[in-house]
Amino acid sequence: MTDSAPPEKYETFVRLFVSHEARLRGFVRTLMPHWDAVDEVMQETSLVAWRKFDQFDPGSNFMAWAAAIARFESLKHLRRKSRERLVFNDDILDLLAEESLEESEVLEQQRAALGSCLEKLDARQKHLLQMAYQPGVKFHEVAAEAGKSTQAFYKTIQRLRASLLSCAERQMKQAGA
Amino acid sequence: MKKSPESLLHDWLHGEISAEDFERLQEMLRGCSELRKRLRHEVNLDLVLRDHACLDASLRSWIPDSAQDNKILMPVRFLQRPRVAWAAAAALAAMLAAGLFIRFQTNPVVAARQEEMNQGSAILTRVMNATWQNGGSQPRSGDTLGTGLFQLAGGLAQIEFFSGATLLVDGPAELEILSPWEARCHSGKIRLRVPPPARGFKIHTPEMQIEDLGTEFAVEVDPEESSTEVHVFEGEVHAQPTDSDLVVLHDGEGLRRCPAGLKAINTVRPEDFICLERMDAMTQSRAKSRFSAWKEWKKQYCEDDRVLASYTFQRSCNWERAAGNDASTTVSFCTGGIVGARWTQGRWPEKDALEFKRPGDRVRIRLSGVYEGLTFACWIKVDGLDRKYNALLLTDGYEPGEPHWQILEDGRVMFSVAYAIAPDRQEVADKVYYTPVIFNHSNLGRWHHLAVTYDAVKGETTHYFDGKQVSRETLPDQQRRHVIYGSCEIGNWGLPAEGHEFPVRNLNGCIDEFVIYKLPLQGTEMVTLYQAGKQD
Repeated sequence: MTDSAPPEKYETFVRLFVSHEARLRGFVRTLMPHWDAVDEVMQETSLVAWRKFDQFDPGSNFMAWAAAIARFESLKHLRRKSRERLVFNDDILDLLAEESLEESEVLEQQRAALGSCLEKLDARQKHLLQMAYQPGVKFHEVAAEAGKSTQAFYKTIQRLRASLLSCAERQMKQAGA
Repeated sequence: MKKSPESLLHDWLHGEISAEDFERLQEMLRGCSELRKRLRHEVNLDLVLRDHACLDASLRSWIPDSAQDNKILMPVRFLQRPRVAWAAAAALAAMLAAGLFIRFQTNPVVAARQEEMNQGSAILTRVMNATWQNGGSQPRSGDTLGTGLFQLAGGLAQIEFFSGATLLVDGPAELEILSPWEARCHSGKIRLRVPPPARGFKIHTPEMQIEDLGTEFAVEVDPEESSTEVHVFEGEVHAQPTDSDLVVLHDGEGLRRCPAGLKAINTVRPEDFICLERMDAMTQSRAKSRFSAWKEWKKQYCEDDRVLASYTFQRSCNWERAAGNDASTTVSFCTGGIVGARWTQGRWPEKDALEFKRPGDRVRIRLSGVYEGLTFACWIKVDGLDRKYNALLLTDGYEPGEPHWQILEDGRVMFSVAYAIAPDRQEVADKVYYTPVIFNHSNLGRWHHLAVTYDAVKGETTHYFDGKQVSRETLPDQQRRHVIYGSCEIGNWGLPAEGHEFPVRNLNGCIDEFVIYKLPLQGTEMVTLYQAGKQD
């Protein structure tokens, strides 16, 4: 498959996939119970999308096309792990999938805004978030490391999250005005 | 008390929601588009936070520990340019063109890594019984040293400057590295060997500046007497005492500067200063005694009937292709078959190890029986994490009860076991147990003890690194499961089912010992395993 495809095709695909990857990841996370599962689904999605890339109409919306694949791969994954307790019912999954697709541009602007809001935090706040969200750690472990109770740590993180979200909202409003 | 929709949402995001709360959240989501929107925004924020943390962690993990947590020894700086998305895209395109499997990264970490520039001045190549001052900086052999203070409380250290000069420090001593071409000795005894390319290397002391013209010489600084002595054993040295004229010194000449004035030293004392040859001999004898102690200790654990298989990877000839199994209950089929992997030096000069480098390198083994748990313990030197998954030990397939142990590209270790989702059903699921990031820039290329224990009855997995527990996880509702093996491989993923997308999982590194137990060992035993086998 990969041997025979012309190089321009790889480039087109890579360009499209890379530019939509963050949106797709967010989309998949709304459907999946945790981030580790998102990685697995994203891998499958990228492979299936590459395999089916011939069927993609270059004039159409790549995000919509790839999201359809991601959604299908997510469901496959969830069914495989049907003993996972924390999986939404199909009707909710449908709602979430549909709505996040509609909203995907807004979400992208929000991510950009969040990125610049994150930069504005002070070093201590950045460090806390960095500890809390680094790969493979659990909240209560990080709390212990930071010398706080899990409750207090949660609260701090929650406050930071809330302020980031409202900062992003303000920025987006300004940009839109 | 009932939780608010927000806190339910947060519990869900952190994967810490109870089944009951989850049902409630689901009901709320069904009826409220505003809450669904909130969920999407919170997920979006999570995505951003994780991306940032992941990028930070990846960059941080490529800076040596010593640079991160001490201020005395100045950190080796890595210059990092801004994230360049096109570079990542180009790298991906190259991967595709090469016909390799596709994998997309959230962050162009790979691109950022390629931009690293090492700003060190020297390498600490060897230490012997070294202790460090104030419990501050604890550099290990192999560390890159930047500019800054190097405070040895006792023992010996060998520093090789990037200019080519080799400096031996005999503790207690305080040295300040100024550049690849210059160092300041505040106190203690040092000896330098300066080959022609490093000619012009300078040593400063409180009383003197010494410029080397390609030689071997030694310096002793005694702050209490405010004195500096320089002894030249070979070649030529220019010594410039403070407020005095330049003195040119040749073989066998020396100079002492103290408050009383300048004095020529007629008989230099090479035996007073540690030399490379003596340091070599000491290192060798130390390695010999560690190796014999380990061999002695190994005898008793070979008799441990909890051991299912023990591969010590010691060859009888260069073309040895069998990996002997030293377990007491050895049966011939437990002998491993070495494919591709080459013999190399292990933890000590007399100990062998297998080097896994190429995609085909592996050791094939076959283990039979059904067990209630396991322990994998190995001595490993990881040289790089080239693959998405880097194999330690994997069964060929992934049937219920079969374990997979591997290192992820980001430096976390992952252990997983497959299980049948229900006794009467064919479908297989798996449970993965991760550690935090263990392998990073500062411990690549070094020997480490890595272990995992799994209790199939309790569903409990514990990971260990150098004898210390790094993570433990117990499944609350695990039903009694079991462990089986069949054909497996060390250092690669054998013969995966056809069409699998990620078959290339070869390890880039060396394994010097691999032991498999029939049950989970206790934490205290892990400490013993580590202590008995550690390099020095």
